Amino acid sequence: MKRLLETGNGAITEGAIIAGCRVFAGYPITPATEIAENMARRLPRAGGFYLQAEDELAALYICIGASAGGMKAMTATSGPGYILYADPFGWAISSEIPLVIVNSQRVGPVSGITGAPGQGEFYLSRYLTHGGNFENIVLAPAGVQEAFAITVQAFYLAERFRMPVTILADQLVTDGWETLLIPETGAELEAMGLKVIERRVNRGPEFYPATDAIDVPPVVLGHNTGAACSDWTPTAEGYDTEEVEWQHKHAYRLIYKVRNHKDLLTRYEAYFVDDEPEVILVAYGSPSRVVKSAVKVAREQGLKVGGLRLVTLWPFPEEIFSWQAKYLVVEMNYDGQLVREVQRATPKGSAIHFLGKCGELPRVAELVELIRALVNDRPLPCNPREREVW
Amino acid sequence: MDYLARKYLRPRKIPSTACSGCGLGQVHKKVLLAIDELGLGTGDIVWGTGIGCAGRQTFNTWKGDNFAGTHGRVYALATGLRLALPPEKKIILTVGDGDAFGIGLLHLLNCARRNVGLTVIVCDNLGYQSTGGQYGWTTPAGYCTDSSPLGMWEPNWVQGGRDILAVLKAAGATFLARHTSFEGRNAVLSIKKALLNNGFSLVHVYFPCVTNFGARALGTRRPAAIYQWFRERTAAMDQAGPEVDFPLRTGIYYDASNSRPEFCENLRAWVAEVQEQGGNR
Ligand code: SF4
Repeated sequence: MKRLLETGNGAITEGAIIAGCRVFAGYPITPATEIAENMARRLPRAGGFYLQAEDELAALYICIGASAGGMKAMTATSGPGYILYADPFGWAISSEIPLVIVNSQRVGPVSGITGAPGQGEFYLSRYLTHGGNFENIVLAPAGVQEAFAITVQAFYLAERFRMPVTILADQLVTDGWETLLIPETGAELEAMGLKVIERRVNRGPEFYPATDAIDVPPVVLGHNTGAACSDWTPTAEGYDTEEVEWQHKHAYRLIYKVRNHKDLLTRYEAYFVDDEPEVILVAYGSPSRVVKSAVKVAREQGLKVGGLRLVTLWPFPEEIFSWQAKYLVVEMNYDGQLVREVQRATPKGSAIHFLGKCGELPRVAELVELIRALVNDRPLPCNPREREVW
Repeated sequence: MDYLARKYLRPRKIPSTACSGCGLGQVHKKVLLAIDELGLGTGDIVWGTGIGCAGRQTFNTWKGDNFAGTHGRVYALATGLRLALPPEKKIILTVGDGDAFGIGLLHLLNCARRNVGLTVIVCDNLGYQSTGGQYGWTTPAGYCTDSSPLGMWEPNWVQGGRDILAVLKAAGATFLARHTSFEGRNAVLSIKKALLNNGFSLVHVYFPCVTNFGARALGTRRPAAIYQWFRERTAAMDQAGPEVDFPLRTGIYYDASNSRPEFCENLRAWVAEVQEQGGNR
């Protein structure tokens, strides 16, 4: 086991290389540029290829092409580049191309502030492309070690589900320095609960089974199997078709291969929930760490409060919001994105509250104050820019 | 087309869905002739397309491996694929003029700069025809289309002292040629040369669209009349041409085949060098 002081960007790089990533194409953008720089330094030494693309569209398409040719690929960006992924992302979803996409969120909209964290792409990460009719896998790390693990896992899931898997990080995770343990043997990797799948080849001519099956090898071009892939609605052989019946089968597969295997994906952390607390705080990414501290402090002060930290964002883990309570959703945005999903998922009679932050973390003391108010059924002290009763 | 079609094309994709009288099939046939004359088989080539008439009619017609990218982006996708495929596999892209010279130009120029080993056949029907006949980046000056009802007023890429092939040459392309679908051997020879260049090759082939360009811009759907329009304007690049409003200059524009290292081979060699030095570079 190698022990280093690393950033999230460094951890993602190391995770990708261990997972077998040998192509990285990217376009420089703060705060994800370091992943590109690390890859430029690390990949050639690992026998892989780093390419600086002419724009983000090209970056993701280069990854798609490399993956369609049988190599594992990854790209990384931040919000202004992520929006340009919308076109190639749809291609990868529809053609079922495995690859990994990293988005380190900064505060927006649009360029916003390059060096301040945000969480404004929660919904964009679900619906990055047009046309609907697909499900998406999105994972959110909250620290450096987890960024490493999630990257290895993202490649694993991308192969099993034949699709792009998104790592939705934020600037504090990717820029922050923490201790990182890197496994040096297969056994050490396994001990961390991580697995690597080699790329398999779909020898076709079937493009896909029109079922929800997973572990179907992806189409790999260049083996002269008559393989075909495109963004057109495919028949079972990969032919383009205008028949709606085939679109039904395609959409069914794209949605239910994920939904019907949700148990393989859903990761979350629940703490201080065994006594079914009245108040539950919900967060993901960097704010979830402040939230956890606040819940601990509040517990020490005798307040009956618990917390949920989402690791899997999509498919949304509705099932973990199983009990009626007062929920406080903490996000680094003012518009409230996660809070809407929590509102949808919680049982009837639950009260949903929201604390939004714009470009900065919440503070422990202010969270404890809000918890105390919720436990005592007092109205929340309201700063109109940050808080809203949902 | 029978012999070639049997050998190289998927039976269920024949006949193609192109309008009857369309010149696209002739362009497609020239590519197949070049492949056949070079003795290449379906396993030697991965065939990609874009969108529009050129993309729609050629996607998945090839019996070997196929792909179709979104509008203008197939060059970036093919760059990634080139990295992953063995160098001896050829990648052919049949795309439209809008795809290559409009929406995809940035990616195309970067493929030329890098000298990525691709053979791009631009099937140019002088505008956007699959969407009903709007002007494009090679629509002749003054001609009427649905989106230039009063005449094409916007500067295009092939007149007024501009030539898109000159831009591609400056960007670093190593083989460039231009033809029309009415030409026989010359076009096939150029495509063969393009396929033999281990680098970025582009063959620009004009073909007649009877349904939209013919009907709107030339005022006729009759293939014979459209043929006449093309014939009167076609002249070899190295000859003084007729005084016409829209000269179609054909021939090999630039041949620097195999003079620059192919991008992916170069990258592979560099990576091997880094590894040989134990990563101590
Ligand atoms: S619209 Fe024109 S270019 Fe397209 S298939 Fe028909 S004739 Fe050919």
